[in-house]
Amino acid sequence: MNRRLIESVLPPAATFVLTTAAAEFGIRAAGISPLLLPTPSAVARAALQHSSTLLPALAATAQSVVVGLSLSIAVGLLVAIALSTSRWVERAFYPYAIFFQIVPIVAIAPLLVIWFGYGMRAVVAAAFIVSVFPVIANSLAGLLSVDPALRDLFRLYGASRTATLWKLSLPWALPNVLTGLRIAAGLAVIGAIVGEFVGGGGLGVVVLEAMRQQRTDLVFAAVLHAAALGLALFAAVNATSHFALRRWQNQEKDA
Amino acid sequence: MRRLEASKWVFALAIATLLAAFACGGEDAAKRAVAGKFAIALNWKPEPEFGGLFEAQRSDAFTKRGIELEITGGPGAPVVQMVEAGKVEFGIAAADEVMLARDRGTDIVAVFATYQTNPQGIMVHASRGLAALPDLFAAGGTLAVEPGVAFTKFFEKRFDLAKMKIVPYGFSIAPFLNDKEMAQQVFVTAEPIAARRQGADPQVFLIAASGFNPYAAVVITTGARARGEAKRVADFVAALREGWRGYLDDPSQANAQMGALNKEMDGETFRLGAEAQQPLIEDAFTKEHGIGAMSLARWTELGEQLRELGLIDKPAAPQQCFVDVDAPSGTPPAPR
Amino acid sequence: MAASELQTKARGLAVRVRDLRRVFRSAGEADVVAVDGVDLAIAAGAFVALLGPSGCGKSTLLRMIAGLDAPDAGTIHFGDGGAAPKNALAYVFQDAHLLPWRNVLDNVALPLELQGRAAGERRDAAERVIAQVGLTDALLRHPAQLSGGMRMRVSLARALVTEPRLLLLDEPFAALDEITRQDLDDQLRALWAATGMTVLFVTHSIAEAAFLAERAVVLTRRPARIVLEHAIDLPPQREAALRGDARFARETSLLYAALRRGNEAAA
Repeated sequence: MNRRLIESVLPPAATFVLTTAAAEFGIRAAGISPLLLPTPSAVARAALQHSSTLLPALAATAQSVVVGLSLSIAVGLLVAIALSTSRWVERAFYPYAIFFQIVPIVAIAPLLVIWFGYGMRAVVAAAFIVSVFPVIANSLAGLLSVDPALRDLFRLYGASRTATLWKLSLPWALPNVLTGLRIAAGLAVIGAIVGEFVGGGGLGVVVLEAMRQQRTDLVFAAVLHAAALGLALFAAVNATSHFALRRWQNQEKDA
Repeated sequence: MRRLEASKWVFALAIATLLAAFACGGEDAAKRAVAGKFAIALNWKPEPEFGGLFEAQRSDAFTKRGIELEITGGPGAPVVQMVEAGKVEFGIAAADEVMLARDRGTDIVAVFATYQTNPQGIMVHASRGLAALPDLFAAGGTLAVEPGVAFTKFFEKRFDLAKMKIVPYGFSIAPFLNDKEMAQQVFVTAEPIAARRQGADPQVFLIAASGFNPYAAVVITTGARARGEAKRVADFVAALREGWRGYLDDPSQANAQMGALNKEMDGETFRLGAEAQQPLIEDAFTKEHGIGAMSLARWTELGEQLRELGLIDKPAAPQQCFVDVDAPSGTPPAPR
Repeated sequence: MAASELQTKARGLAVRVRDLRRVFRSAGEADVVAVDGVDLAIAAGAFVALLGPSGCGKSTLLRMIAGLDAPDAGTIHFGDGGAAPKNALAYVFQDAHLLPWRNVLDNVALPLELQGRAAGERRDAAERVIAQVGLTDALLRHPAQLSGGMRMRVSLARALVTEPRLLLLDEPFAALDEITRQDLDDQLRALWAATGMTVLFVTHSIAEAAFLAERAVVLTRRPARIVLEHAIDLPPQREAALRGDARFARETSLLYAALRRGNEAAA
């Protein structure tokens, strides 16, 4: 177990160290202005120096992301279930779900602020809009991919629609739902940051302020905090996936 | 082990490419200099604040001095970075941006200050019956400002802003028009005029009146260029001065040209904007030292204010931020 | 044999199929006649093998009997006439088709769960039938931890947990290796003997049909029609050694000839 842990952690850690070192020496050697591209050490220093600004901002953004993502899961799953009930329903309403995928969040963020006011609600709305479609699309694919033989089995024993949904379709679709969540998590962070550009609060405002005040190192530091948030969510979904699906491996369906 | 080495080379190559891309910036400037061309990056759309520049380009102010000028940039352009990287020779920025950039280790200098009085202000609805800015902060409500702009920190230090809900300004007056309790940052030549024309009753408090008055719409260039090409820079400034003189006397032609580029503002707004900004550009100081001239005293005061607000980490060297107007024109500032 | 098993000996369900026809229509393509006028009488408690080439329609026939598909013409009657009694049928598929997120016990108990039986009752019934197929040690394991043969046995146990009166199997052991297959054949016959249920077993393996069934029904290639109905002339005690017996060879040749005839017959 220890050996496996080292094998999985060492390669990315080594790449990280090498890239950071190369960037540090390369940027210094080329004499690039800190306003254009700060060195990794400058970014780290800015992160520490401004931690009293960055950490509360990270907490605020994280809160919006978690709420937005939770909404995406709830609404996304319900919509997917509704769409899976009949081909007619799917054909009639699925194209409108795709709307969430293609709408440019940067363009509608000001509208969100008009509808929801400045502050967390608009940011949550932005995070939701950007992250709900992957949940719908992947969950629907999972629900529609249920083994037909198992459907027959449930029918044979007279199972109700609810029983089939609850005991067969939803557990069957779980790997797909988690795949959708993996994608949605990163998107929710992006949506929240864009929402914050217009609605205020969180890391989005820190980025704008740092840019305006010519603190490029702080811009990078804030961006890294946002990336860390996305990474943490991704890891959480992966851990959930591993834990929930560990007994499934190599079984009758392709997860 | 072999795969690890390969990825090391891939990353080294990626970093090298990135650095090369940055290094190439200098070549653009060299090419232009040989041809006598200059490029200037604006930090907003063509509006009366750039009137003198467009007038100088429209008349022969630049061409008779052997300068071919390209006007570029726009809202959101990273002007300081563009000048620093050599993508453009000149740029338009705020005076506090110059000091902040220098504090972070960049050699940027100001050569011309369009506004002697900063045209930024806070716009409120007149129906609220507020007499001065402190009354607004006491009354409360929403305040939309550009995140990170210096005067916010100035107000936070001077007044108690606990009752204000500070939100990002999206450069649209729609939220202001829809909410009587809303206040927002403005440029006196633009938003208040637009608001009035849309039927609102705006009242503007100039930031400068509260004691924070950095030069605005400042023309910047690199310190190296100001020192190494002093004659060319002096020619540029002279041409710009001439343009502003022409624009102040008669803005109509430059306005027409700018209006063609900026369809969002109509001719009447251009006219009213040019009118509103005249007293902010030409005053007793410029009558003596010329339009766009700057004083060490003003830069020193700004440096002290920015230090006090914690926006700059090191003490400012105000004499290095600009080309000294008290010296005969064309003399470069003291070397670092 | 347990007392409960003795009691259930005479509980098999009879099936009467008359003039059954099934046509698959798809837009833009020609109609496919899968089953064309099949007449079949299956006595209560009988073990009948449905033998035919791949794709001939035998699975379709089985599904219609199970109620998973509706015929386009003809009738299916059960017992004394009429529809199948509630909860009397069970179906075993070609693959085990277990729920991967449930352990063996919960997989086997599924039919009882869907029928609304209480938890304790379900667990007891499931454990009993799991013991019958010899998988008590694997009670709490998940399908991913079982071999193919074990999974098939779980599938079989699941089918038996409701004490069905009619057991329908669609080539259930086709994907398994020969040894496991023969083991399961033996096990199936033993369960049939113990419970007295009717068994309808679809296969394309002549040897399996001959070994398992009392009666074999040979079908033509698509559309399915009956070529031959033949009572297997072998002793009721089917030992493994029987497969090498001359009598066995005679039965398989007979079935093979019928199969050939059915394959060459025009549609």
